[in-house]
Amino acid sequence: MTDFDALLTTLWRHEVAFIVVGGAAAIAHGSARLTQDLDIVYLRTAANLDRLAAALADHKPYLRGVPPGLPFVWDAATLARGLNFTLVTSLGDIDLLGEIPGGGTYEELSAGAVELQVFRMRCLCLSLPQLIRAKRAAGRPRDLEALAELEAIEEEGG
Amino acid sequence: MRDLPRPDPDPVIQAYKKDIDRTLIRENLKLTVEERFRKAMALAQFADELRRAGKEARRHRG
Repeated sequence: MTDFDALLTTLWRHEVAFIVVGGAAAIAHGSARLTQDLDIVYLRTAANLDRLAAALADHKPYLRGVPPGLPFVWDAATLARGLNFTLVTSLGDIDLLGEIPGGGTYEELSAGAVELQVFRMRCLCLSLPQLIRAKRAAGRPRDLEALAELEAIEEEGG
Repeated sequence: MRDLPRPDPDPVIQAYKKDIDRTLIRENLKLTVEERFRKAMALAQFADELRRAGKEARRHRG
């Protein structure tokens, strides 16, 4: 089970610049759908990559779905060489996204994002309209029901 | 080739929307954001426990 409290708190304590997106953002807006992981869009500056690497370093980050034992070095250089990382950690599963379809990068999303006060901290989260735009842009069949729920939340005043 | 503009409202989404349980949404909207996350984590824990119990039952059945 993904410990949203612990994952968000460790990112916040290390002053990582990130935005909650995906299923966790949907939960924040009132979704009743289960999600297995925390998805975040992170700022890709050198300083933020250092903070992100430090934040997860103690939580055994490893690539999700790859055979155990594959060489994987968790550091800022690895983050700089890639963009999106799907990880398993001792706190649960987390997806680190450099950008999302229909939304863009941290810089493009942050102005429209909303600030959440949760677990004794503050963090940015996609607004409901941003989340709906991102789901529409993703255009995946599995997102259709989630999209319908998000639109229903909007209609219910969420 | 450019994608055609999506109809608004999208009939596919409208079809899915009919089956959305709005009572769950209304209950969630009464909660704080933190309560929504805690509820989701409790549900995930419950789902994990059900998966574990199902696996064990299948193992016992042979």
